[in-house]
Amino acid sequence: MTGNDADDKVAIVVSEGSYDKAMASVFLGSTAAGLGMEVHLFFTFFGLELLKKDKRPKLKGMYRPFTGMFEKKMKGIGVESFQGMMDTCSELGVRLYACSTSMEAMGLKKEQLRDGVDVLGASKFLDIAAGSKVQLFIG
Amino acid sequence: MVDEKLDCKGMMCPMPIVHITKRIKAMEPGQVLEVLADDEGSLEDVPAWAGRTGNVLMEQTEEGGVYRFMIRKS
Repeated sequence: MTGNDADDKVAIVVSEGSYDKAMASVFLGSTAAGLGMEVHLFFTFFGLELLKKDKRPKLKGMYRPFTGMFEKKMKGIGVESFQGMMDTCSELGVRLYACSTSMEAMGLKKEQLRDGVDVLGASKFLDIAAGSKVQLFIG
Repeated sequence: MVDEKLDCKGMMCPMPIVHITKRIKAMEPGQVLEVLADDEGSLEDVPAWAGRTGNVLMEQTEEGGVYRFMIRKS
């Protein structure tokens, strides 16, 4: 496996909590980790909801009722549930961060979040992002 | 020659790569993993994965829409 210079680091901001954004985040996170990269996922605003224990994100707006259908289709092509993919991310060493300000604004406590989440401020995350060649924003 | 086999047929991106990663982690250096996949994306994904991780893609063939990858763990 490769070292930890900027080339091998990915910093991703997740600012939305809908099913599509959630899955895009765990797909990219797990894939990057699979490629041997050091992955940092920072969840903020509505994205923070995704860190809640047993969270099952829904599609947005008029597509919301079709979430279950979509999940079934994904399962049919070998894709795990969102929680399953989050577990896979953790297993592959993806670091998960909760935005401290969003936690306060949303009234979320650390006990409500899945295990292995670190609470972080914007400065520390930007410090990590500045040292990462790949920076993505999912929102 | 083949130490382990992984059938990823029916799986779409990123699942083949996720499963290959997990399997390779559990193997010993020098061992060979045979992967079958039918996601067209895997055609470029597996070589890219091998290039980034340093594992060796020894052989890549296609038969009837099924791709076969031979990977040696480094």
